Amino acid sequence: MKRFDWRWLAVNSLLMFTLAARAETRPQYGGTLRVAMRAAPTSLDPVETQADSFARRNLTLLIFDALVTTDDSGRARAALATSWQASPTNQRWQFHLRRGVKFHDGTVLTPEVVAASLRAANPAWNVSTDGESVVIERDIADPEMLAELALPRNAIAKRTADGNPSGTGPFHIVDWQPGKRLTLAADEGYWRGRPFLDGLEIEMGRSFRDQMTALELGRTDLVEVAPEQAHRVSLDARRLANSAPVELVALLFTHDARTPDERSLREALAWSVERGSIRSVLLQGAGQPAASVLPNWMSGYGFVFSTNADLAHARHAREQVRNIPTWTVGYDSGDAVGRLLAERIALNARDAGLSLQPTSAATADFRLVRISLASSDAWIALAGVATFAGLPAPKNEGGSVETLYAAEQAVLAAQRIIPLFHLPVTYATSATLKSWTLRADGNWNLADAWLGNGKP
Amino acid sequence: MCEAVYNSAISTILKPVISALRALPVPRLVQLFVALVGLAVTACATDWNSPEQHLARKIVAVTGPGAVALTVESRSSLGKRDFEIIQNGLRSVLEGLGLRFVKAEQAAATVTISLSENPASYVWVAEIRQGAGDSAVVMVSTPRPEGSTTARDSVPLSLRKILLWTQDDPILDVAVLEEATSPTHIAVLDPEKVSLYRMQGGSWQQEQVLAVTHSRPWARDLRGRLIPARDHLLDVYLPGVICSSTAAIPLTLNCRDSDDPWPLIAGTLNGGSLSVFPSAGLANGASTVVPQMKAFFAPRRNFFTGALTPGVGKFTTVPKFYSAALLPRDKYMLWLFAAIDGQTHLVDGVSDQAAKFGWGSDLTSVKTACGAGWQVLSSAVDQTEDAVRAYEFPDRDPVAVSPAVDFAGPVTALWTESKGDSAIAVARNRETGSYEAFRLAMACGQ
Repeated sequence: MKRFDWRWLAVNSLLMFTLAARAETRPQYGGTLRVAMRAAPTSLDPVETQADSFARRNLTLLIFDALVTTDDSGRARAALATSWQASPTNQRWQFHLRRGVKFHDGTVLTPEVVAASLRAANPAWNVSTDGESVVIERDIADPEMLAELALPRNAIAKRTADGNPSGTGPFHIVDWQPGKRLTLAADEGYWRGRPFLDGLEIEMGRSFRDQMTALELGRTDLVEVAPEQAHRVSLDARRLANSAPVELVALLFTHDARTPDERSLREALAWSVERGSIRSVLLQGAGQPAASVLPNWMSGYGFVFSTNADLAHARHAREQVRNIPTWTVGYDSGDAVGRLLAERIALNARDAGLSLQPTSAATADFRLVRISLASSDAWIALAGVATFAGLPAPKNEGGSVETLYAAEQAVLAAQRIIPLFHLPVTYATSATLKSWTLRADGNWNLADAWLGNGKP
Repeated sequence: MCEAVYNSAISTILKPVISALRALPVPRLVQLFVALVGLAVTACATDWNSPEQHLARKIVAVTGPGAVALTVESRSSLGKRDFEIIQNGLRSVLEGLGLRFVKAEQAAATVTISLSENPASYVWVAEIRQGAGDSAVVMVSTPRPEGSTTARDSVPLSLRKILLWTQDDPILDVAVLEEATSPTHIAVLDPEKVSLYRMQGGSWQQEQVLAVTHSRPWARDLRGRLIPARDHLLDVYLPGVICSSTAAIPLTLNCRDSDDPWPLIAGTLNGGSLSVFPSAGLANGASTVVPQMKAFFAPRRNFFTGALTPGVGKFTTVPKFYSAALLPRDKYMLWLFAAIDGQTHLVDGVSDQAAKFGWGSDLTSVKTACGAGWQVLSSAVDQTEDAVRAYEFPDRDPVAVSPAVDFAGPVTALWTESKGDSAIAVARNRETGSYEAFRLAMACGQ
C-alpha cells in the first residue's frame, strides 16, 4: 500500500489556509455607524416609556442591559443575572447577579442598584436584596416575570444626581442632545466583549423621506423604512431587513360600547373594512390583515379571526340601529399613510351605511392608532395593547393557549379596539454595514455588526 | 417520552444474534449500528400522542359521537412526514372516540384542524361548525423542541438584479466571459448569432458576431444556452443544434445538427464528468463537487424530453420538464424538475415526489455563502408582476428566503451562470418589447 505523504498534507493545508484567509474577510474593528430615526426621545432613561417606539427600545438596549434577555423562541437567556429561581407559585423570584460588571461611570453593579432600578420601573413590585442576589415578590403569580424583565423598560440603570442614567451596555453616552442627536462610544470593558464598532451617531426626528435620502447620499448607514415603501425600496436593490409583524394598526374607541346600538354599529364597522385590498393598495403588500390583537406568529391561532370584509353582515348589523350618528375617525397628521387609511375606511363604512368623517383633530370618536407590541411574549403583548386601550390588562396565571385565546376574545369583546393590520418594522442599510441582524421582535442586534469597505 | 423497556432472559434470545453479528465484516457492523441509531432517534423524535389525545377529546366534547367532515391543515414549520403522522394519529384517536368521517354534505359537523405554532409551542386549533350557528374553537399546545425555529415572515436574504444587456431581438442566454469588479466581456445568444461585447471606456463595444447556422426553422419559444468551455471559448446548445467556438482569434462558430443532451449543471470548466462550484465567498473555502447531469432537449419544442444521462439514482427518465435545479444533501442529490404540467418533481434517486408550488416554468439553483448555502431561484407570475424569488428547502417544502425581484415582463430564461453562485434572468419588457438580461446575485444577511 502506498504510504500517506504527510508533507503533502502539510503543504496543502498551509495553501488552503492561505486561500481561505484571503477569500474570507474577518470582522474589522473601528468605524462609526450612522443611524437615523423618526423618534425623537427627550430622555434616555429606560423607565421613561411615554413615547414608546421600536427605535426608542433599541436606544435603550445600546446603553443598558437587562437581567435577562429572550431569544427568538421566547426562551430566557442569562444577561446581568446568571441564574434564577422561582417559587412553585411563581410569586417569588430570586436572581443571582453577574460578578465584575461595571456601569459606564466606573461603579460596580450591585444588588442594591439593581433593586432600585427595578423599583423605579415597577412601583407595584416588592424588590429587595439577599446577599449577592435580588428578590422580586408579587402578590399574584407571575409566570411572565422573565419576559417582563427582558423588556427594555426594565433594563438596569443607575440614576445619578445629575439626572443622567448610567448603564452597563455595549456603548456609553458621549454626547446627548435630547430629541436631536445622540453620540455613543464603544465601552472598552463591556462584559460581553467590546463591540466591533467604535461608536454610533444617531440623528433623531428625521422623516422616512429624509432618512432614505441620507442613505442614498451615503450620509447614513441604517435607516427606517415605512412599511408601505418597503416594496419599492427592495426594487432599488437596497439591503432591507424586516422584523416579524410587531406593530398593530387598529381603530381605537375612547370607551366601551355602552348600548346595543353602539355595539351593532361597531360590529358593522369592523365587518365593512376591506383589509385585503387596503393592504395591497395603500400598504403596498406590507404586513398582514388582522382581526386579532396578537399576530398569528405570536399566538399560533390568529387565523381563527376572520379578516375578510362581509358587507352583508355589516349592513345587517347597521340595520339594527334607527339613528345613525356621524362618527369622526382621527389620524395622526404626521402619518402620511394614516390619512389615506382613514379615508379608505370611511369609504368602506359608507358602503355599509355608516357615516364617517376623517379628521386630524385631536378629538374624535375613535382614532387610527399604531401600537408597538411590547414583547414577543404573547401575554405581555396582549396586556400592553389592553393597557393602551384603557382596558384591564389580562394576566397569565399559568394558563394554556386556550386561556390566552379567551383573554384576547375578552379584550376584543369590549369593542373598544378593531384590529386592522399587523406590520413589520423595516430597515434599510448601506452596503458597508455587515453582520447586522434584526430580531423578530424588532430589536437590533448590533453585537457583531461591523463596517466594511462597502463591497457586498 | 421514549423509554427503555426491559425483558427477562434475553441472553438466550441474543445468542444467535450475536453469532450472526460476529460473522459480519466490520464495515457492515458499522452500517448496521448507524442504521439502528437512526431508527432509535427517529422513533424518539417527537411524541405526538398526548396532544392528539387531548385535542381529540376536546373536539368530541363539542361534537359528540357521530358523522363529521374532517380537514387537517398545516400552518406550521412541521415537515410533511410529521404532518402525516399527526394527521393519521388524530383520525385514529377521533375514530376511537366515536367519530365517523364522511363528506361535508352528509356530516352533522365540520371540523377543521390547523396545525399552527407560536415561538414556544406547536398550537393545534380545531374549528367546529355545527349547523348554521357560530363555530366553536378548541385548541391545545405542546412545546416545540429546543432549537427549532419559527418560520418568520421576514426574509433573510435578498436577490440583487444587475442589468447586463438589452436588445430588441430575443435574448436566449448571456455568458459572462471575463469580469473584474463587474463584467467586462460578455457573450449574448439570440436565435441567429452569438455576439461578443467588451466593456471599453464605460460602454459595451461589439467585438465579434458569430453566426448560428441551422438547417431547420427554429421552434417557437426558442430556448438556448451558452456554456463557457475550458479548451475553447464556449459551446452553444439550441434545440437540435450544437455549436462550438474555436479557441483562437478570430473566432468561428461551428454548428451541427445534434440531439446530444444539454448539461443541466453550471460549471463544466473542468471538462470532465464532474462540475465544480467555485469557492468564492464560501466560509470554508471548499468547493462543492457534484456529478454532471445532462438532459435531452426536444428538438422542435421548448422543453426537455425527460430523458436524463446518467440519471438520478434509479431514474433515467422523469416527466417532460422546462427546467431543473439541484440541491445537494448530505448523502444524496435532490433534483427539482419544473414539469410541463405545472408540477415540480422532487427526485432524490429513490423517489419521485410531485408537488404544486405555484412556481413559474423556470427554476435553477445557486450555491452561495448565504443561508443554507444552496438556494433555488424560481420564476413566478402573480396577478400583476413577473418575478423571481429565492427559496430554500429545509425538508421537501420550499421556504422563501428573499423578497421577489420583479421584472417588467415575463421571465423568458433563467439559467445558473458557469460560476454557480449567480444566475442569468432574461425578461421581455412589456412596455418596450425589448429583451433585458440580468445577473441575479444573492445578498446575505440583510
